[in-house]
Amino acid sequence: MKDIFAEFYNKVIGFFRRTEAEEESSKDVARNRLRVVLMQDRTNLTPELMEKMRKELIELLSKYVEMDKEALELNLEQEGDQMALMLSIPVLRAKEESEIEESADNAETESEEEADAQTDIDEEETGESDENADEEEVSGEDDSDDDSDDEDEFENDACDCGKCEKCNPKNKKNK
Amino acid sequence: MSGRVIVITSGKGGVGKTTTNANIGTALARAGKKVVMIDTDLGLRNLDLLLGLENRIVYTIVDVVEGRCKLKQALVKDKKNPNLCLLAAAQTRDKSAVTEEQLKEICEKLQKDYDFILVDCPAGIEQGFQNAVAGASEAIVVTTPEMSAVRDADRIIGLLEAKEEIKSYKLLINRVRPNLIKSNDMMSVDDVVEILSADLIGIIPEDTGIITSTNKGEPIVNDEKSLAGKAYNNVARRIMGEDVPFLNLEEETGVMAKVKKFFSGLVGKEK
Repeated sequence: MKDIFAEFYNKVIGFFRRTEAEEESSKDVARNRLRVVLMQDRTNLTPELMEKMRKELIELLSKYVEMDKEALELNLEQEGDQMALMLSIPVLRAKEESEIEESADNAETESEEEADAQTDIDEEETGESDENADEEEVSGEDDSDDDSDDEDEFENDACDCGKCEKCNPKNKKNK
Repeated sequence: MSGRVIVITSGKGGVGKTTTNANIGTALARAGKKVVMIDTDLGLRNLDLLLGLENRIVYTIVDVVEGRCKLKQALVKDKKNPNLCLLAAAQTRDKSAVTEEQLKEICEKLQKDYDFILVDCPAGIEQGFQNAVAGASEAIVVTTPEMSAVRDADRIIGLLEAKEEIKSYKLLINRVRPNLIKSNDMMSVDDVVEILSADLIGIIPEDTGIITSTNKGEPIVNDEKSLAGKAYNNVARRIMGEDVPFLNLEEETGVMAKVKKFFSGLVGKEK
Protein backbone atom coordinates (compact mmCIF):
# COMPACT_ATOMS: atom_id res chain seq x y z
CA MET A 1 0.00 0.00 0.00
CA LYS A 2 2.72 2.42 1.03
CA ASP A 3 4.68 1.59 -2.08
CA ILE A 4 1.79 2.40 -4.35
CA PHE A 5 1.38 5.74 -2.67
CA ALA A 6 5.08 6.41 -2.91
CA GLU A 7 5.23 5.60 -6.57
CA PHE A 8 2.28 7.79 -7.29
CA TYR A 9 3.74 10.62 -5.25
CA ASN A 10 7.09 10.32 -7.02
CA LYS A 11 5.44 10.38 -10.42
CA VAL A 12 3.41 13.46 -9.67
CA ILE A 13 6.33 15.27 -8.10
CA GLY A 14 8.64 14.10 -10.86
CA PHE A 15 6.31 15.51 -13.48
CA PHE A 16 6.25 18.95 -11.91
CA ARG A 17 9.95 18.96 -11.18
CA ARG A 18 10.83 18.16 -14.74
CA THR A 19 8.85 21.04 -16.14
CA GLU A 20 10.20 23.40 -13.50
CA ALA A 21 13.82 22.50 -13.87
CA GLU A 22 14.06 22.84 -17.61
CA GLU A 23 16.67 25.57 -17.37
CA GLU A 24 19.32 25.03 -14.70
CA SER A 25 18.66 23.41 -11.37
CA SER A 26 19.54 25.38 -8.25
CA LYS A 27 22.06 22.69 -7.43
CA ASP A 28 23.93 23.37 -10.66
CA VAL A 29 23.85 27.08 -9.98
CA ALA A 30 25.27 26.45 -6.52
CA ARG A 31 27.96 24.17 -7.83
CA ASN A 32 29.10 26.56 -10.51
CA ARG A 33 29.08 29.59 -8.25
CA LEU A 34 31.00 27.65 -5.66
CA ARG A 35 33.61 26.53 -8.17
CA VAL A 36 34.31 30.09 -9.23
CA VAL A 37 34.44 31.43 -5.71
CA LEU A 38 36.70 28.62 -4.50
CA MET A 39 39.14 29.19 -7.30
CA GLN A 40 39.36 32.82 -6.32
CA ASP A 41 39.77 31.85 -2.67
CA ARG A 42 42.46 29.31 -3.39
CA THR A 43 44.57 31.49 -5.65
CA ASN A 44 43.92 34.82 -3.97
CA LEU A 45 43.12 36.16 -7.42
CA THR A 46 40.47 38.79 -6.90
CA PRO A 47 38.18 39.90 -9.73
CA GLU A 48 40.06 43.22 -9.76
CA LEU A 49 43.36 41.47 -10.29
CA MET A 50 41.88 39.37 -13.06
CA GLU A 51 40.60 42.51 -14.76
CA LYS A 52 44.00 44.16 -14.47
CA MET A 53 45.66 41.08 -15.89
CA ARG A 54 43.15 41.03 -18.75
CA LYS A 55 43.85 44.62 -19.63
CA GLU A 56 47.59 44.16 -19.59
CA LEU A 57 47.36 41.04 -21.68
CA ILE A 58 45.27 42.88 -24.26
CA GLU A 59 47.83 45.63 -24.31
CA LEU A 60 50.67 43.19 -24.79
CA LEU A 61 48.99 40.96 -27.34
CA SER A 62 47.62 43.71 -29.48
CA LYS A 63 51.17 44.47 -30.52
CA TYR A 64 51.14 41.23 -32.45
CA VAL A 65 47.58 40.51 -33.41
CA GLU A 66 44.46 42.40 -34.14
CA MET A 67 41.74 40.93 -32.00
CA ASP A 68 38.23 41.34 -30.74
CA LYS A 69 39.10 42.98 -27.44
CA GLU A 70 35.59 42.73 -26.05
CA ALA A 71 35.39 39.01 -26.63
CA LEU A 72 38.73 38.16 -25.04
CA GLU A 73 38.13 35.77 -22.18
CA LEU A 74 40.40 35.09 -19.26
CA ASN A 75 39.17 32.47 -16.83
CA LEU A 76 40.46 30.36 -14.03
CA GLU A 77 39.52 26.76 -14.53
CA GLN A 78 40.12 23.62 -12.62
CA GLU A 79 41.03 20.31 -14.12
CA GLY A 80 41.43 17.70 -11.43
CA ASP A 81 43.94 19.00 -8.94
CA GLN A 82 45.42 21.54 -11.30
CA MET A 83 44.36 25.09 -11.64
CA ALA A 84 44.79 26.69 -15.03
CA LEU A 85 44.32 30.15 -16.47
CA MET A 86 42.45 29.79 -19.72
CA LEU A 87 42.88 32.59 -22.19
CA SER A 88 40.69 32.70 -25.23
CA ILE A 89 41.54 35.33 -27.80
CA PRO A 90 39.40 35.79 -30.89
CA VAL A 91 42.01 36.80 -33.49
CA LEU A 92 40.89 38.94 -36.38
CA ARG A 93 44.25 38.88 -38.11
CA ALA A 94 47.93 38.64 -37.34
CA LYS A 95 49.82 41.87 -37.76
CA GLU A 96 52.42 42.42 -40.44
CA GLU A 97 56.00 42.24 -39.32
CA SER A 98 56.52 45.88 -40.07
CA GLU A 99 53.57 46.80 -37.86
CA ILE A 100 54.93 44.71 -35.05
CA GLU A 101 58.34 46.30 -35.19
CA GLU A 102 56.74 49.69 -35.16
CA SER A 103 54.74 49.13 -32.04
CA ALA A 104 57.08 46.82 -30.18
CA ASP A 105 60.40 48.47 -29.57
CA ASN A 106 61.21 46.45 -26.50
CA ALA A 107 60.63 43.21 -28.33
CA GLU A 108 59.62 40.09 -26.45
CA THR A 109 60.42 36.96 -28.36
CA GLU A 110 58.38 34.50 -26.26
CA SER A 111 55.06 35.79 -27.40
CA GLU A 112 54.79 33.75 -30.58
CA GLU A 113 52.95 31.06 -28.66
CA GLU A 114 50.63 33.54 -27.11
CA ALA A 115 49.33 34.56 -30.48
CA ASP A 116 47.57 31.22 -30.75
CA ALA A 117 43.86 31.51 -30.45
CA GLN A 118 43.74 29.20 -27.40
CA THR A 119 46.49 29.46 -24.87
CA ASP A 120 47.05 27.65 -21.61
CA ILE A 121 49.09 29.59 -19.17
CA ASP A 122 50.29 28.22 -15.90
CA GLU A 123 49.89 30.43 -12.91
CA GLU A 124 53.61 30.83 -12.53
CA GLU A 125 54.05 31.88 -16.09
CA THR A 126 51.37 34.48 -15.87
CA GLY A 127 52.92 35.64 -12.64
CA GLU A 128 56.08 36.28 -14.58
CA SER A 129 54.39 37.97 -17.46
CA ASP A 130 52.55 40.11 -14.97
CA GLU A 131 55.83 41.22 -13.49
CA ASN A 132 57.23 41.82 -16.92
CA ALA A 133 54.33 44.03 -17.71
CA ASP A 134 55.02 46.00 -14.56
CA GLU A 135 58.60 46.43 -15.58
CA GLU A 136 57.52 47.74 -18.91
CA GLU A 137 55.46 50.43 -17.34
CA VAL A 138 58.58 51.36 -15.42
CA SER A 139 57.70 53.81 -12.79
CA GLY A 140 59.99 52.96 -9.93
CA GLU A 141 57.65 54.16 -7.21
CA ASP A 142 54.71 52.10 -8.36
CA ASP A 143 56.83 49.04 -8.45
CA SER A 144 58.07 49.35 -4.90
CA ASP A 145 54.58 50.14 -3.68
CA ASP A 146 53.26 46.98 -5.25
CA ASP A 147 55.97 44.94 -3.62
CA SER A 148 55.30 46.22 -0.15
CA ASP A 149 51.60 45.58 -0.59
CA ASP A 150 52.35 42.00 -1.43
CA GLU A 151 54.45 41.62 1.66
CA ASP A 152 51.67 42.98 3.83
CA GLU A 153 49.33 40.38 2.47
CA PHE A 154 51.73 37.64 3.33
CA GLU A 155 52.13 38.90 6.87
CA ASN A 156 48.39 38.77 7.37
CA ASP A 157 48.33 35.25 6.06
CA ALA A 158 51.09 34.22 8.38
CA CYS A 159 49.11 35.61 11.30
CA ASP A 160 46.31 33.19 10.51
CA CYS A 161 48.57 30.31 11.35
CA GLY A 162 48.94 31.53 14.90
CA LYS A 163 52.59 30.67 14.94
CA CYS A 164 53.84 34.14 14.22
CA GLU A 165 54.85 36.56 16.92
CA LYS A 166 51.69 38.61 16.61
CA CYS A 167 49.50 35.84 17.99
CA ASN A 168 51.63 34.22 20.62
CA PRO A 169 52.74 37.06 22.90
CA LYS A 170 49.11 38.03 23.44
CA ASN A 171 48.35 34.63 24.82
CA LYS A 172 51.29 34.70 27.12
CA LYS A 173 50.24 37.99 28.58
CA ASN A 174 46.85 36.60 29.50
CA LYS A 175 48.31 33.58 31.12
CA MET B 1 49.15 3.08 24.82
CA SER B 2 49.28 5.99 22.45
CA GLY B 3 45.84 7.21 21.56
CA ARG B 4 44.83 8.96 18.38
CA VAL B 5 44.06 12.64 18.65
CA ILE B 6 41.37 13.67 16.17
CA VAL B 7 40.16 17.23 15.83
CA ILE B 8 36.63 17.78 14.55
CA THR B 9 36.38 21.07 12.75
CA SER B 10 34.40 22.87 10.07
CA GLY B 11 35.07 26.56 9.74
CA LYS B 12 31.41 27.45 9.56
CA GLY B 13 29.25 27.24 12.66
CA GLY B 14 26.07 25.23 12.92
CA VAL B 15 27.02 22.42 10.56
CA GLY B 16 27.12 19.85 13.34
CA LYS B 17 30.66 19.70 14.71
CA THR B 18 29.59 19.18 18.28
CA THR B 19 26.85 16.72 17.36
CA THR B 20 29.37 14.79 15.30
CA ASN B 21 31.82 14.83 18.16
CA ALA B 22 29.29 13.58 20.70
CA ASN B 23 28.08 10.81 18.42
CA ILE B 24 31.40 9.55 17.14
CA GLY B 25 32.76 9.62 20.69
CA THR B 26 29.79 7.69 22.04
CA ALA B 27 29.94 5.19 19.18
CA LEU B 28 33.65 4.56 19.73
CA ALA B 29 33.05 4.10 23.45
CA ARG B 30 30.20 1.69 22.76
CA ALA B 31 32.62 -0.30 20.65
CA GLY B 32 34.77 -0.70 23.73
CA LYS B 33 37.34 2.02 23.09
CA LYS B 34 38.45 4.40 25.79
CA VAL B 35 37.44 7.84 24.62
CA VAL B 36 37.90 11.34 25.96
CA MET B 37 36.35 14.39 24.34
CA ILE B 38 37.79 17.83 24.78
CA ASP B 39 35.54 20.83 24.27
CA THR B 40 37.79 23.70 23.22
CA ASP B 41 34.99 26.13 22.51
CA LEU B 42 35.79 28.34 25.48
CA GLY B 43 32.94 30.67 26.32
CA LEU B 44 30.45 28.82 24.12
CA ARG B 45 30.54 25.30 25.41
CA ASN B 46 27.88 22.87 24.25
CA LEU B 47 29.33 19.39 24.15
CA ASP B 48 28.29 18.88 27.78
CA LEU B 49 24.67 19.55 26.82
CA LEU B 50 24.63 17.07 23.96
CA LEU B 51 25.97 14.41 26.29
CA GLY B 52 23.65 15.36 29.13
CA LEU B 53 26.58 16.05 31.44
CA GLU B 54 26.01 19.74 32.09
CA ASN B 55 25.18 19.26 35.75
CA ARG B 56 28.21 17.20 36.56
CA ILE B 57 30.93 19.58 35.55
CA VAL B 58 33.06 20.66 38.46
CA TYR B 59 36.33 21.59 36.80
CA THR B 60 37.03 22.75 33.26
CA ILE B 61 40.01 22.75 30.95
CA VAL B 62 40.92 26.23 32.20
CA ASP B 63 41.07 24.94 35.77
CA VAL B 64 43.48 22.27 34.60
CA VAL B 65 45.64 24.73 32.74
CA GLU B 66 45.72 27.17 35.63
CA GLY B 67 46.56 24.44 38.13
CA ARG B 68 43.40 24.46 40.21
CA CYS B 69 42.93 20.73 39.73
CA LYS B 70 44.59 17.70 38.26
CA LEU B 71 43.76 16.61 34.73
CA LYS B 72 42.05 13.44 35.96
CA GLN B 73 39.82 15.35 38.34
CA ALA B 74 38.46 17.43 35.49
CA LEU B 75 37.40 14.46 33.37
CA VAL B 76 33.64 13.94 33.67
CA LYS B 77 32.54 10.34 33.20
CA ASP B 78 29.53 9.66 30.99
CA LYS B 79 26.34 8.49 32.68
CA LYS B 80 25.99 5.29 30.71
CA ASN B 81 29.37 4.48 29.37
CA PRO B 82 32.38 4.29 31.68
CA ASN B 83 34.66 4.27 28.63
CA LEU B 84 33.63 7.79 27.75
CA CYS B 85 34.54 11.04 29.43
CA LEU B 86 34.53 14.75 28.78
CA LEU B 87 36.95 17.54 29.47
CA ALA B 88 34.62 20.53 29.42
CA ALA B 89 35.33 24.05 28.25
CA ALA B 90 35.05 26.98 30.61
CA GLN B 91 31.94 28.99 30.00
CA THR B 92 33.13 32.21 31.60
CA ARG B 93 36.43 32.67 29.79
CA ASP B 94 37.49 33.41 26.24
CA LYS B 95 39.69 31.61 23.74
CA SER B 96 42.90 33.13 25.05
CA ALA B 97 42.63 31.33 28.41
CA VAL B 98 44.33 28.26 26.93
CA THR B 99 47.31 28.28 24.58
CA GLU B 100 48.33 25.92 21.81
CA GLU B 101 51.17 24.51 23.90
CA GLN B 102 48.90 23.85 26.85
CA LEU B 103 46.41 21.98 24.71
CA LYS B 104 49.18 19.99 23.12
CA GLU B 105 50.43 19.02 26.57
CA ILE B 106 46.96 17.93 27.69
CA CYS B 107 46.52 15.80 24.57
CA GLU B 108 49.90 14.17 25.10
CA LYS B 109 49.02 13.27 28.68
CA LEU B 110 45.64 11.85 27.68
CA GLN B 111 47.16 9.79 24.88
CA LYS B 112 48.71 7.55 27.48
CA ASP B 113 45.40 6.42 28.95
CA TYR B 114 42.91 6.71 26.10
CA ASP B 115 42.46 5.18 22.66
CA PHE B 116 40.82 8.24 21.20
CA ILE B 117 40.98 11.92 22.06
CA LEU B 118 38.34 13.84 20.14
CA VAL B 119 38.84 17.59 20.11
CA ASP B 120 35.76 19.69 19.48
CA CYS B 121 36.88 22.78 17.63
CA PRO B 122 35.12 26.15 17.77
CA ALA B 123 33.83 27.72 14.56
CA GLY B 124 36.10 30.16 12.78
CA ILE B 125 39.75 30.13 11.80
CA GLU B 126 41.11 32.26 14.62
CA GLN B 127 43.00 31.33 17.74
CA GLY B 128 40.35 28.88 18.92
CA PHE B 129 40.88 26.82 15.78
CA GLN B 130 44.65 27.01 16.09
CA ASN B 131 44.44 25.81 19.69
CA ALA B 132 42.13 22.91 18.89
CA VAL B 133 44.32 21.71 16.05
CA ALA B 134 47.56 22.05 17.98
CA GLY B 135 47.53 18.66 19.67
CA ALA B 136 45.88 16.66 16.89
CA SER B 137 47.39 14.48 14.21
CA GLU B 138 44.15 13.70 12.39
CA ALA B 139 41.17 15.82 11.45
CA ILE B 140 37.57 15.35 10.46
CA VAL B 141 36.18 18.25 8.47
CA VAL B 142 32.43 18.54 8.88
CA THR B 143 30.44 20.23 6.16
CA THR B 144 26.93 20.26 4.72
CA PRO B 145 25.94 20.34 1.04
CA GLU B 146 25.48 24.10 1.20
CA MET B 147 27.66 26.66 -0.52
CA SER B 148 28.74 28.57 2.55
CA ALA B 149 29.65 25.43 4.48
CA VAL B 150 31.59 23.98 1.56
CA ARG B 151 33.48 27.20 1.02
CA ASP B 152 34.47 27.35 4.67
CA ALA B 153 35.44 23.69 4.62
CA ASP B 154 37.72 24.43 1.68
CA ARG B 155 39.41 27.15 3.67
CA ILE B 156 39.83 24.84 6.65
CA ILE B 157 41.28 22.11 4.44
CA GLY B 158 43.79 24.62 3.12
CA LEU B 159 44.83 25.50 6.67
CA LEU B 160 45.03 21.84 7.70
CA GLU B 161 47.22 21.01 4.73
CA ALA B 162 49.65 23.69 5.83
CA LYS B 163 50.01 22.05 9.24
CA GLU B 164 52.74 19.47 9.51
CA GLU B 165 51.26 17.82 12.59
CA ILE B 166 48.04 16.92 10.75
CA LYS B 167 48.83 13.67 8.99
CA SER B 168 45.42 13.07 7.47
CA TYR B 169 42.03 14.67 7.20
CA LYS B 170 38.68 13.24 6.19
CA LEU B 171 35.45 14.77 5.09
CA LEU B 172 32.12 14.21 6.81
CA ILE B 173 29.04 15.50 5.00
CA ASN B 174 26.27 16.24 7.42
CA ARG B 175 22.60 17.08 7.07
CA VAL B 176 22.24 15.46 3.68
CA ARG B 177 18.71 15.60 2.35
CA PRO B 178 18.19 12.90 -0.27
CA ASN B 179 14.86 14.37 -1.36
CA LEU B 180 16.43 17.68 -2.26
CA ILE B 181 19.34 15.99 -3.98
CA LYS B 182 16.96 13.89 -6.01
CA SER B 183 15.07 16.96 -7.17
CA ASN B 184 18.36 18.70 -8.02
CA ASP B 185 17.85 21.33 -5.35
CA MET B 186 20.86 20.36 -3.27
CA MET B 187 24.41 19.50 -4.19
CA SER B 188 24.98 15.78 -3.98
CA VAL B 189 27.63 14.09 -1.87
CA ASP B 190 29.61 13.45 -5.04
CA ASP B 191 29.46 17.12 -5.98
CA VAL B 192 30.87 18.16 -2.61
CA VAL B 193 33.55 15.49 -2.63
CA GLU B 194 34.58 16.47 -6.12
CA ILE B 195 34.73 20.17 -5.33
CA LEU B 196 36.75 19.68 -2.16
CA SER B 197 38.71 16.69 -3.49
CA ALA B 198 38.96 15.11 -0.06
CA ASP B 199 38.45 11.56 1.22
CA LEU B 200 35.03 10.87 2.61
CA ILE B 201 34.53 9.29 6.02
CA GLY B 202 30.82 9.74 6.50
CA ILE B 203 27.49 10.81 5.06
CA ILE B 204 24.92 11.73 7.67
CA PRO B 205 21.30 12.27 6.64
CA GLU B 206 19.28 15.12 8.04
CA ASP B 207 17.30 13.62 10.88
CA THR B 208 14.72 15.22 13.13
CA GLY B 209 15.80 12.68 15.71
CA ILE B 210 18.92 14.81 16.24
CA ILE B 211 16.77 17.54 17.71
CA THR B 212 15.00 15.26 20.16
CA SER B 213 18.22 13.53 21.07
CA THR B 214 19.80 16.89 21.83
CA ASN B 215 16.76 17.79 23.90
CA LYS B 216 17.31 14.70 25.98
CA GLY B 217 21.07 14.96 26.13
CA GLU B 218 21.51 11.57 24.58
CA PRO B 219 23.55 11.09 21.41
CA ILE B 220 21.52 9.60 18.59
CA VAL B 221 23.90 6.64 18.14
CA ASN B 222 22.22 5.19 21.23
CA ASP B 223 19.03 4.91 19.19
CA GLU B 224 19.62 1.93 16.99
CA LYS B 225 16.66 2.54 14.74
CA SER B 226 17.74 6.01 13.72
CA LEU B 227 19.36 6.36 10.32
CA ALA B 228 21.60 9.21 11.42
CA GLY B 229 22.63 7.10 14.38
CA LYS B 230 23.50 4.25 12.07
CA ALA B 231 25.48 6.56 9.84
CA TYR B 232 27.46 7.90 12.83
CA ASN B 233 28.11 4.36 13.99
CA ASN B 234 29.52 3.58 10.58
CA VAL B 235 31.81 6.59 10.80
CA ALA B 236 33.15 5.29 14.10
CA ARG B 237 33.78 1.89 12.54
CA ARG B 238 35.61 3.48 9.64
CA ILE B 239 37.76 5.42 12.11
CA MET B 240 38.66 2.10 13.71
CA GLY B 241 39.81 0.86 10.34
CA GLU B 242 36.82 -1.18 9.23
CA ASP B 243 35.73 -1.03 5.62
CA VAL B 244 32.05 -0.11 5.88
CA PRO B 245 30.02 0.77 2.79
CA PHE B 246 28.17 4.09 2.85
CA LEU B 247 24.44 3.94 3.52
CA ASN B 248 22.37 4.25 0.41
CA LEU B 249 20.30 7.22 1.50
CA GLU B 250 18.55 7.78 -1.80
CA GLU B 251 16.97 4.37 -1.94
CA GLU B 252 16.04 3.93 1.68
CA THR B 253 14.98 7.27 2.99
CA GLY B 254 14.13 8.96 -0.26
CA VAL B 255 10.97 6.98 -0.72
CA MET B 256 10.17 6.45 2.93
CA ALA B 257 10.57 10.08 3.80
CA LYS B 258 8.24 11.05 1.01
CA VAL B 259 5.65 8.55 2.13
CA LYS B 260 5.95 9.83 5.67
CA LYS B 261 5.68 13.37 4.48
CA PHE B 262 2.68 12.48 2.39
CA PHE B 263 0.89 10.83 5.28
CA SER B 264 1.89 13.43 7.82
CA GLY B 265 0.56 15.99 5.40
CA LEU B 266 -2.79 14.20 5.38
CA VAL B 267 -2.93 13.80 9.13
CA GLY B 268 -1.33 17.18 9.72
CA LYS B 269 0.75 15.87 12.56
CA GLU B 270 4.19 14.32 12.66
CA LYS B 271 4.82 10.87 14.10
